[in-house]
Amino acid sequence: MPSVGYRGYRFEHMPVVNTFIVEDSPVILDNLVAALEELAPVKVVGWADDESSAVSWLTEPANECDLVIIDIFLKSGSGLGVLRSAARSGVRGKRVVLTNYASPDLRERCAALGASRVFDKSSELDELIAYCTRLGEEGGNAASAASN
Amino acid sequence: MIGVVSRLRRSLWTLPLAGLAAVLVLGINEGAYHGARDALTGLGARRDAQAQIQTLLRRLIDAETGQRGYLLTGRSEYLAPYEESLKDVSATLRYLSAYYSTDAKMAALMKEISQRSLEKLSEVGTSIQLYDAGRHEAWRSLMLTDIGREKMDLIRKLADSLLTNESARVGDARNELSATLRLSRIGVNAMAAISLLAFFLFLRQTTAFDAMQRQLAATLQAERDRLEDDVAHRTADLTELAQHLQTAREDERSRLARELHDELGALLTAAKLDTARLKRSLNTMSPESDARLKHLNETINEGIGLKRRIIEDLRPSSLSNLGLVAALEIQAREYTARSEIKVSTELAPVALSDACQITVYRLVQESLTNIAKYAAASAVTVSLQRVDQRAHIAVQDNGRGFDVKAKRGTAHGLMGMRYRVEAAGGVMRVTSAPGQGTQVEAWLPALSEPDAD
Repeated sequence: MPSVGYRGYRFEHMPVVNTFIVEDSPVILDNLVAALEELAPVKVVGWADDESSAVSWLTEPANECDLVIIDIFLKSGSGLGVLRSAARSGVRGKRVVLTNYASPDLRERCAALGASRVFDKSSELDELIAYCTRLGEEGGNAASAASN
Repeated sequence: MIGVVSRLRRSLWTLPLAGLAAVLVLGINEGAYHGARDALTGLGARRDAQAQIQTLLRRLIDAETGQRGYLLTGRSEYLAPYEESLKDVSATLRYLSAYYSTDAKMAALMKEISQRSLEKLSEVGTSIQLYDAGRHEAWRSLMLTDIGREKMDLIRKLADSLLTNESARVGDARNELSATLRLSRIGVNAMAAISLLAFFLFLRQTTAFDAMQRQLAATLQAERDRLEDDVAHRTADLTELAQHLQTAREDERSRLARELHDELGALLTAAKLDTARLKRSLNTMSPESDARLKHLNETINEGIGLKRRIIEDLRPSSLSNLGLVAALEIQAREYTARSEIKVSTELAPVALSDACQITVYRLVQESLTNIAKYAAASAVTVSLQRVDQRAHIAVQDNGRGFDVKAKRGTAHGLMGMRYRVEAAGGVMRVTSAPGQGTQVEAWLPALSEPDAD
């Protein structure tokens, strides 16, 4: 994977975590992509801003990823629907939720729908970055293959 | 006629006039009665007088007949009618003289009759005395003079004159009586006619009064109906306005919440991500920059917390994210954590429109707020279930309760709830009594159940 700047330098020894992002805010999406690719061995392979396009991307057999980061509030539909569809259709990558409403109930529901982790958009960004880094260290593609 | 009648009816003089007419008729009738009675009495007296005149004549004839029988036969039994006649004639003359004493003309006639009668009797007495004395020539010549017959004829003529006069008087009295009776008849008839007219007017007036009353009642009823209609219309307008405002308010809150979440939330998250990247890029930081960066991070966190509280207050995110049942459960848990009042939930999933979901959520929220403020309750039960085509939501506490019918000073929350429920097409009921706790219930239209997933 060709990479630029120090990012390539820092993470070139690590497997890349191919990531799909479901997020309806362009501001957050831009910043998130930039931050994750800079701070963790993450390569964003695609994104969607509503439930239906997210589900259609995820259920397309040609598309593969190690990690799906899902927002709950979407332009249309809900992140919960994305989780549900992903679990049903057997998406191999890990699913994590990044939301502004990380209440205990939501965490429970998300876990029940197959989410590995739930991160609060404001207070747990560092944890998300750490999680991605750990995922890369554990082997990216390999990890996602192992989880299935 | 009608004009006169109606003018008369309206006139102030009607009653005095009616009274005067009644008195007049009464007077006429009474006068007629007395007049008739007097006339009848007078008629009786005249009939007696006529009989007396006849008696006088008959007695005089009896006397003459007795005289002639005695003179021809000399038998004393013929003298009995003569002596009888003497007594009767004088009594009759006394009666008649007294009776006619008030009438000058009749009195004159009567005086003459008396005189002639007495002369006749004296002539009869003289002839008898002459017979008894045996002076037969004398009484015969007395008889032959024809004086007796002339006297008798004169008396008859006088008596006829008296009788004719008397008959004329009787005729007058009859006329007078019939005039009196006619007057009385007119009076009574007039009174009857007036009474009938009065009765007719009274009936007419009563009918008119009844009609007026009915019309008045109808007018009042119409006015009342119109007012009620007005009130109903205005109430409907106000309810519609209130519902519109409620919806507008909810829409505005939703829009605000969405904007805060989407725009402000994104900016804050972006800022957070930037601080993370900044921290990484500045590999070695002075302790001062490190502290500044930490402080920036904290500030952003505070901003995020504030935004979240505002959004949550504007529109419960859990409702759109997790559905009504979960949202209510979260609300109940958070309430218990905040107020230390135990809230138990019996919640069945019921498919509801967005508006109804918000309504249920706000109803529970408002009820719980009221309970914390006023009820002094230790336990609350929130239940939601489907009843036929409706969702039934109930919030029951074991607090001090209140008199539902009492003044509505603090009832604005309840009123707002009621508006909200009715705006969503439901009905609300509050059941409470002092010391009995309070139950707030609402029935809202449910959607047909979707496939469970």
